[in-house]
Parts: sequence; C-alpha cells; structure tokens
Amino acid sequence: MDLNIEVNDQGLSQSIKLAGEIDAYTAPKLKEALLPLVKKENVTVVVDLEHVNYMDSTGLGVFISALKATKEYDSELRLVSLQDRVRRLFEITGLENIINIDSTVRGGK
Amino acid sequence: MEPFHHNFNLDNYRKLLKSYITTEDETSLYQAELFSKLSMQHNILPEEIINIHIQALRELYPDLPKEIDSSLNFLLETMISYGLAYQEFQTLREKQGELESEISIAANMQQTLLSTHKPKIMGLDIGAVSVPANIMNGDYYHFVTDENGNLGIAIADVIGKGIPAALAMSMIKYSLDSFPETQRNPSVILENLNRVVERNVDTGMFITMFYGLFHAKSNLLQFASAGHEPGFYYCAKEDKFFEIKTKGIVLGVTNDTTYEQFEIQMEPGDVVILLTDGVTECRVGDRFIDTDEMLEVIREYLHLPAQEAVERVFRHFEKLQGFHLRDDFTLIFLKK
Amino acid sequence: MSKTQSCVHIKKEWDIVGARQMGREKAKELGFGTVNQARIATAISELARNIYLYAGTGKISYEVVNDMNKLGLKIIASDDGPGIADISKSMEDGFSTSGGLGAGLPGVKRLMDDFDIESEEGKGTTITAIKWVRK
Repeated sequence: MDLNIEVNDQGLSQSIKLAGEIDAYTAPKLKEALLPLVKKENVTVVVDLEHVNYMDSTGLGVFISALKATKEYDSELRLVSLQDRVRRLFEITGLENIINIDSTVRGGK
Repeated sequence: MEPFHHNFNLDNYRKLLKSYITTEDETSLYQAELFSKLSMQHNILPEEIINIHIQALRELYPDLPKEIDSSLNFLLETMISYGLAYQEFQTLREKQGELESEISIAANMQQTLLSTHKPKIMGLDIGAVSVPANIMNGDYYHFVTDENGNLGIAIADVIGKGIPAALAMSMIKYSLDSFPETQRNPSVILENLNRVVERNVDTGMFITMFYGLFHAKSNLLQFASAGHEPGFYYCAKEDKFFEIKTKGIVLGVTNDTTYEQFEIQMEPGDVVILLTDGVTECRVGDRFIDTDEMLEVIREYLHLPAQEAVERVFRHFEKLQGFHLRDDFTLIFLKK
Repeated sequence: MSKTQSCVHIKKEWDIVGARQMGREKAKELGFGTVNQARIATAISELARNIYLYAGTGKISYEVVNDMNKLGLKIIASDDGPGIADISKSMEDGFSTSGGLGAGLPGVKRLMDDFDIESEEGKGTTITAIKWVRK
C-alpha cells in the first residue's frame, strides 16, 4: 500500500494531508515532504492523519525528527484527526505528551 | 576479445543461420537459443553477436546490398551501450552476492554478541522466542541474575529494522552490562539508558524498552517502561488477562526523563507476558488481529511449559500470517 | 617509437560528434575491427560528454602508441574543470554521473584496455585510455 501526500502551502500556515500507510517503505517519502515544511521560522504545520489507517514505529521516527526541527526553527507541528490505531501508538510510546496532538477523537473508542 | 571463441562461434553461427534461412524450422531457433546462452557463459557481448551475424551474412551472401551492410553496422553501434549495461549488471550482481554474505556474517555476529541465556530461577518458568522479519533482528531481550537469585529482564524494540537497528541494539546491550549490579532498579536503568541513547543515536531513531526486576524471595516484579508495547498479566485466581499499565516516553527523544516504577505481586499460576509490536501488529490479510483474539491464542497454550508455550504461540501467528513476518517478533512468558 | 598527435576541442555538444569521428578514423587506420571501432567511439563519446557537462570546455587528444611491438590508440581527455572529488566513487558501478544514462567512467574502462585518471579538485581532470590492436 502506498502513502499519498498533499501539501497545501499558505505561507506561515502549512497543511499536509496524508492518506494510506506509513511504514518503513513510505516513511522516507513522508520525511522528505514534512521536514522542509517545519524547517521554516514561525510556520505552523498541521498534519491531517484522517486517512492514515496504519503507521509503524518508522512513522513515529519521522514525527520525532520533525518535532526536533520545530525546536530549532521555532516552528510548530500539530497532528489532527488521528484514527484510534494510530493514536494508540502515540499513547503507548509516551509521545502524546511532547507532540501537539489534536484531541478530537475520530471514530468510537 | 577471445579470438578463439570468436572464430569457433562464427563458424557455428554461420551454419545455424544458413540452416534457418533455408528451412525456417524451430530446431534452428532452439539452437540459436542455446548459442546465445553459451555466448553469455563466455561473456560474449551483444555487439559481438551482431558482428558475428554481419560476418556470417557477408560470407553467405557476398553480394549483400551495401544498404543492408551499413544498416547492420548501425545496429552494431546501438548495441554497445547495452553491452556495457550488461557488464555493469554482472559486476553489480557479484557485488550483491558479496554484500549478502557479509550481512549474514554480521547477523551471526549479532547473535553471538547479543546472545543471552535463559537463567534458571527457582519457582519461575521462563520462555522466550525472538524471530527477525529479515536477517537482522531489531528486537532484543536480555536476562541477568544477581547473587540473590533475582532476575532482571529487558525487552526492547529499535525503531526500524535491519542493520541500523542491530547496531543500536549492540550499544544498548553493552550499556546494560556496564551498569553496576546495585543499580538494577528498573526506573534508574531506563533513565540511564535514555541518556545513552539520546547522546549516541541519530534524531528520529528511538528505542522502546520494558525493564523488569523479579525478586525471587518475595515474588515481587518491579518494572518500568520506556514507551514499550504493553505486556499482559494473567491472574490465575480470576482466570483473566490484564494489560500491564505503565507510563514513560521512548528512549532517546528527550534528555532528562524520569520513568515511573510499578510492581506486581505474583501468585502461583500467574503469568507475565512481555512482547513487541511484531506480536500485537499481527496482520491477517487486510486486517489486524485485535487484542482479544491475540489473548485467546495465548490462553490456548498457556498451560504448557513456558518455552514450549511461546514457541507454539509463535508458530500459530507465523502460520496465520502466511509464514511471512512483517515485523520482528519477540514473546516472553514468565510463569509463576 | 613513433608518435602522431592530434586533438579535438570540446566546447559545445556537437563537438562530441567531431571527437567520435576523429577517433573512429584513427581506429580504422590502425586496423581495428568494426566492434572495436564502435567501442572506441563510444568511449570517446563518454569522455567528451563528461567534459561538456562538468568542465564546460576541454579537449580530446589522440596518439598512436607503439609499445614493445604493440600498436594502440591512446585517447587523452583533459579539462581545467572542477575536478573529481572522489575518484574511487566515480569508478564505482551504479554511480552514474551523467544523469543515469551514461556508462560513466567504469564504462570507459570496460570499453578500453588501459585506463588512467588524474584529477585535482579545482584544477581539472586528465583521463588516459588505450585500446590495443589485436594481432
């Protein structure tokens, strides 16, 4: 399965819509798209994960790299519309405490 | 190149070509196939075959129109780059073979470096299985005992798979070994490891780990987790599974993290089940199995001796996934 | 030991054709067969294209060598371009410098018999390749 990436550039507010699976094969593609976005001063990057039905630890690695970059560039990273399965991964790994994750829950628990 | 083969082949080729032109039969075409295979064995390049063809044609038809003759030279010219690409491909194929054998040596080394043997602890039956999806394992478990017969258990998963994961694992193992025995306190161990990983590993790489310390005399299990896939506790008295709740961020992301320590008092018949996401993220077709299904499978084998039980569970999931693991699979049972 | 030297300057893409042609003529004169003529021309193409793409300008020189009863054609490609930072890397298969389609320097080495390269960053590159006439 593939990962589809759609970037919407509106200056200081960038949004990026993902659809598909984030795993060892697609993570490099995500990294290539996401990192340049957060490496701009004062931008806010919103990542929409509504259509991501699978993510493994490689995907988490990409978001951690992005998070570290935001500290360097004073930019902001926000994840929204996570499916339960993906949200669980952020919970288990304790990353929900350091990454800004939108609290609106999608789908029943 | 090799004049001998050249001439040998030219003769042979001319006969074949002549017989095909007169009969147009399948036998000649089959021999042409054999000829091209033989040519490859002798490293004959496509442009040389074309050249042989041109020479054979000239000998068979001395009055070959000049246009045809030059068109064949044109064809020969276009084959040069194909010949180069073919030679490059062969070199790369040899190199691939070398790399593969190097990797398998590295994998053996990894196994030796990271090997841990299952200790015998009075009153605790231990089973452990760890199988990589590819040749190198990104999962890791480690047992260590102290002079009081207490057991330290580490189970870890490095993000990603393959060689980088294996290298990071060796670092973890040697850090674990270097901590003094008096500091076998799970939360302290994770805090120390976190600093090691944060300092030495690339951004975006991280490690999850569960560390437990089983006190043989009191049957108390103390543990802490750095973002590791939660394990399960089977309580014999209630005949029920409970998720082992922990709190703590993965190793290597922030530089000063503390890890909360928890404990479980184990009773006879109880089982602690530790695992990595290769077990929980088991995929059947398009679907992931859910926790209850996984626990049902585990329950089925729980009555067996611990080692036999983990192996049977592994074989069950391996079969379920069509004998093709997507992720490294590690499962540990600690049976009281 | 007799030596006759001539050269073609590479400034624009079409000079590659001139360089090939000169090489093919020399090869024919020396008695190379069709296959080796084509190989020499392709090697020159590769060298001339490298000059055109990476150095901008340079030249291809031709020399008939007569060494210990061996007769051969020596091709010297020289330029004052940026030079090659990592020669070993540039000689690796799969490390293509000309956008994936070129045979690269390993290709030139395969097409010819002897191959030598000297390069200094910022100063330029000289590549020497010889093809010997088979008796």
